[in-house]
Amino acid sequence: MKVEATIVEGRKVYSVRAFNQGVGSWLQRLPTVWVEGEVTELRRQQRWATVYFTLKDPGSGACLPAQMPRGQFDALRLDLVDGERVHVYGRPSFYEQRGDFHLRALSIERYGLGAHLAALERLKQKLAREGLFDAARKRPLPRIPRLIGLVTGNDAAAKRDVLAAITTRFPPASVLVAETYVQGPRAAPAIATAIGDLCARGVDVLVLARGGGSFEDLLPFSDERVVRAVASCPVPVVSAVGHEQDTPLCDLAADVRASTPSVAGRLVVPDVAELRTWLDGAHARLGRGARRVVERHGQRLASTHERLRRAPVLALERREARLRTTQARLRALSPRATLERGYAIVRSGETLVREPPAAGAPLTVEVAGGTFGAVAE
Amino acid sequence: MSELSFEQAQAELEGIVERLERGDVGLEELTTLWERGEELYRRCAEQLAGAQGRIEELARRLDAEGGD
Repeated sequence: MKVEATIVEGRKVYSVRAFNQGVGSWLQRLPTVWVEGEVTELRRQQRWATVYFTLKDPGSGACLPAQMPRGQFDALRLDLVDGERVHVYGRPSFYEQRGDFHLRALSIERYGLGAHLAALERLKQKLAREGLFDAARKRPLPRIPRLIGLVTGNDAAAKRDVLAAITTRFPPASVLVAETYVQGPRAAPAIATAIGDLCARGVDVLVLARGGGSFEDLLPFSDERVVRAVASCPVPVVSAVGHEQDTPLCDLAADVRASTPSVAGRLVVPDVAELRTWLDGAHARLGRGARRVVERHGQRLASTHERLRRAPVLALERREARLRTTQARLRALSPRATLERGYAIVRSGETLVREPPAAGAPLTVEVAGGTFGAVAE
Repeated sequence: MSELSFEQAQAELEGIVERLERGDVGLEELTTLWERGEELYRRCAEQLAGAQGRIEELARRLDAEGGD
């Protein structure tokens, strides 16, 4: 296209219209490309022929106005909302009447969720292989924490919920709060740093709390830096991020997962009333236990003493019994017992008669009852 | 003997009783052992009474202090 200029006082001057036409025709020579960005400021109205939106780079914040004929936009049936990530196929375009530059979209594809999910899944597999989510790594929470660390967004409802749950159950609790970004590109490194800072300041348990949010809002809590910070945290970590159905990777790396910030608060401190009851019970058991030990020793000693008292008599009785047995055995060996059974001892003078004596020999016969004389026939 | 703990005294006392009950003790030794046994019993009983007294005293003091 030929752009006409006029010469005014020796200068080559273009009219605005001519200039815009020139820029417009030059831009038209640029190729049609795919551009990736987040949809923001989406404006679509029934009576407008065109749908307007801005493509934004979530990392740098750079913006690009874009538009698409409404009929075409509606035909895609994307139901896009602000914040969604898309690939837009289009070409630069210039509205010559206003000097506005924009991207004229020919096609839009939703990008992100699938790609994000796949990336997330790959990260999950990698960290799982490293053992970051192993059940064996999970540590028990301290029974009574000295200092609780809380990482949360500033003025977040999550913070209020955690603190309320803690102070209700255990009023003397000490909590150190680290307020940080909990969404957006700066969140992940900020959260990891906050975890490290709190640990350095001597907390003995750490709560990571964030209320519900969109999939993208919760992404920092699946960031490798945050997951690794949680896994390598020297003290146990309770993670309460998003709602019950969300499972950011930091939940898997944490020692305990809480379904809500309130639950997290209740988990990190004991109930002071329950503690009191337990203490009273332990105290009572201590007293009973001590008394029972003394009582048992007393019973054992008494029974031993009883046996000791009987022992000498018993020992003497044993000896006496043994003596009687010996006497009985002695008796059994004496001839006396034989005589009792009807036998007789025959003597001739002082000699025991073992052979038949000569007839007329005088004999002495001893029987059990006594002694009498006799003559051999 | 003053060095003997409750457990040691108790073990020795029970040893003596078992020996006496088995009866394998000389007559002269019988009296010595029995006397030793009675002495050990007395020591054990004293120590027990002492422990009991301390427990009760502590319990009373705690009750008086806080009522809990």
